[in-house]
Amino acid sequence: MTATKLYRRDGADAVTACALDDIVLLYHPRSGQTHMVISPVPEILDQLVDGGPASVAQIHDRLARSFDLGPADEAMDEIAAHLDALVALGLVRPA
Amino acid sequence: MRHHLTLRIGPATFRIGSAWPAPVAQLASLYAAYPQPSDAVADFTVRLQPTSLVRRFIRPSIFITGDHGLADAAPMSLSHGLLAAEMGMNLQMALGWRRHLLLHASSVEKDGRVLVMTGESGSGKSTLAALLGERGWRFMGDEFALLDLDSGAILPFPRLVSLKNRAIDVVAGQVGEGRMGPLLAATAKGDIRHMVPRHDAVARMGQGAMPALLLFPRFGHAADMRAVGQAEIFMRLTQASTNYVALGEPAFTALTRFVRDVPARAIDFPTGEDAIAMVERLWEEMA
Repeated sequence: MTATKLYRRDGADAVTACALDDIVLLYHPRSGQTHMVISPVPEILDQLVDGGPASVAQIHDRLARSFDLGPADEAMDEIAAHLDALVALGLVRPA
Repeated sequence: MRHHLTLRIGPATFRIGSAWPAPVAQLASLYAAYPQPSDAVADFTVRLQPTSLVRRFIRPSIFITGDHGLADAAPMSLSHGLLAAEMGMNLQMALGWRRHLLLHASSVEKDGRVLVMTGESGSGKSTLAALLGERGWRFMGDEFALLDLDSGAILPFPRLVSLKNRAIDVVAGQVGEGRMGPLLAATAKGDIRHMVPRHDAVARMGQGAMPALLLFPRFGHAADMRAVGQAEIFMRLTQASTNYVALGEPAFTALTRFVRDVPARAIDFPTGEDAIAMVERLWEEMA
């Protein structure tokens, strides 16, 4: 059995966000990069705002309180893919 | 260098040095109404030098250099020396200016509010700004609009207007020969002639104003007008800025505020006269 992957946001990776139409711009001071993202990426990032580590399942459960996510398996796969993409961008870190 | 000139355009001071007298003499003549503070500390240095010693005399070839340079800038013929100097100044601004967010855009002002026009080379933004500058608007710049990071105002950079190909006759017919520079034939961008902006554009080049309308002009198409989404505007403006990344978070904040606050339209037009009518109508409706 593999260990559950955990994710967290570092305080130094805090972004400045600005919504334009249905796109959210994220300015990441640490890299100087501006990212353009759409839902559900901003919502996933919001679930990690406390800086603590969280698993895909925990993030899914937090999101499910506010959003209708459909079948849990598919939603968790999508959340995991987004988290890995965010790790690649340096906005989220493996915990 | 043997021949030189110090010149202020908007907030920037340039010291232009040349191995030949002609480009400096042409600049001094065309920029006669601009401040030429010979003792000022220049923000940028532009140097026009021969590609080799022999090239100063035989088929003279100019190499543009300065504080900031492009390794692969192609040498130019001496007969295009004025263009080389203008390109050199543009290059220094594009690569080195840090005091404002630099947008590759033309701008004109009326009643204390600014119309900003951005687009690729050939979109008509220069010609449109030049024509509007002759019709009751204050010309602020045909190449760079400077966005103040704190106030959100647009500041002028009213260098000579660079007119290309068909635009030359259209504008020269309206402003008269006295304000036109020499014809630079068959440059890499086609035929080019420079136009001296009106006196008020130079006299008020220290005065900025708040932006009120953003246009994406496109010359040579049937008349059309479209709304542009804010996310697309943001993306196009970051592409139109040479120092957005270098300025960091203040640029992000200033540009997002600009995109949220300033209404925008894309306009297509077949001729300059059509464009002016569209601009004046949009300005009445939206600005």
